[in-house]
Amino acid sequence: MDERLDFDVYEVFAQSDSLSPHVHVFNVLASSPDMAMALAEENFFRRAEFVSLWVVRRDQIHQIGFHDREGFQKTPKAYRTTDDYKYLRDKWRYYRDHPMNPDGSPAAGGTVDGTMDD
Amino acid sequence: MERWTIEDVAQNPERRQLAAELLWQLADDDLLMGFRDQEWLGLAPHIEEDVAFGSIGQEEIGHAALYFGILERLGFGTADDLASLRSVSERRNSVLIEQPNGPGHYLESPRYEWAWTIVRHYLHDVWEMALLTALTGSVFEPLGDAAEKILREKRYHLAHQELWMRTMAGHDADSRVRLEDAWRRAQDWAGDLADLGPYSSALESAGLCPGVDSVVRHYHERVAEMARVLGLPEMRMQTRENGRRGEHTEALQQALDTLSEVYRLDPTANW
Repeated sequence: MDERLDFDVYEVFAQSDSLSPHVHVFNVLASSPDMAMALAEENFFRRAEFVSLWVVRRDQIHQIGFHDREGFQKTPKAYRTTDDYKYLRDKWRYYRDHPMNPDGSPAAGGTVDGTMDD
Repeated sequence: MERWTIEDVAQNPERRQLAAELLWQLADDDLLMGFRDQEWLGLAPHIEEDVAFGSIGQEEIGHAALYFGILERLGFGTADDLASLRSVSERRNSVLIEQPNGPGHYLESPRYEWAWTIVRHYLHDVWEMALLTALTGSVFEPLGDAAEKILREKRYHLAHQELWMRTMAGHDADSRVRLEDAWRRAQDWAGDLADLGPYSSALESAGLCPGVDSVVRHYHERVAEMARVLGLPEMRMQTRENGRRGEHTEALQQALDTLSEVYRLDPTANW
């Protein structure tokens, strides 16, 4: 018997509400995009809700994977990220605990943002 | 508009008998349809379809339970008894619906035919959709409410069967031949499907089923449109037995034997 595989894998992306992005949820085996949509709905969305569903034939998805990243290595530049400014948090905390007068002398109480704690 | 409650119908012998004539047809069609669908469990063309088709079958049984539930409230006995214990001659489903899915038996070498299954289910869905649309305006309130509820799932059942019909019509020569063959065979069983039986005009004049003629016309128009789109021959529906009059084929007894086998062991058991 002539065994053929007339099916493709379709990746399914669902948007749960209009403010959320489409998120990959699963895949289905189907013979056409129409069939993929019907089967995605029947298999996985009979109870769960969605506002929009994308099906994409897997071979239409082009990917940069873990092994193709050599040419895209980033030069470490910590000042581009918020991580590099973590010390500021400690600084704020220090000045809240050690309030100053405008001339720089230690103040008797209160916080740096002007609210008094007594 | 006048609307009948359960009590209005239960206490009026004429209304009660007439409402039941319609409910038997609806309930028996869906029960047998659901049963035939469930015989595909584990056998459908692929796993995703198995889940999808199994759910559709389960919903058919659910719809039957709704109709039998109304009959129960009208005092005809419990829904389970009505589904499982009535004899063949009491059944009012179309003979098209009772036909097996194909040669063989579920447990022994089933050679079921997918194209036949889809074509038959498609005709059932088109008919029920046309009928339920009219029944949303039925004078019998519980029936109108059930129709609204069931229609929500019916639209999607129909979309599923239509998608498969288009797929088989356009896929390759083999699928096309199978579809055409199933289409031709269905017309020899479908004669009693779009038929409300001997009480048709009484159902209409009582307001239980408004616009019977236009329901039947809608059904035939939709089927003819599908035939035109897919390039299938015009369907000339006929049948030897008329299920709406209690005439059935051997296939119904076999189906009921299996369907109610466990229930009949002890109808009083609490499952």
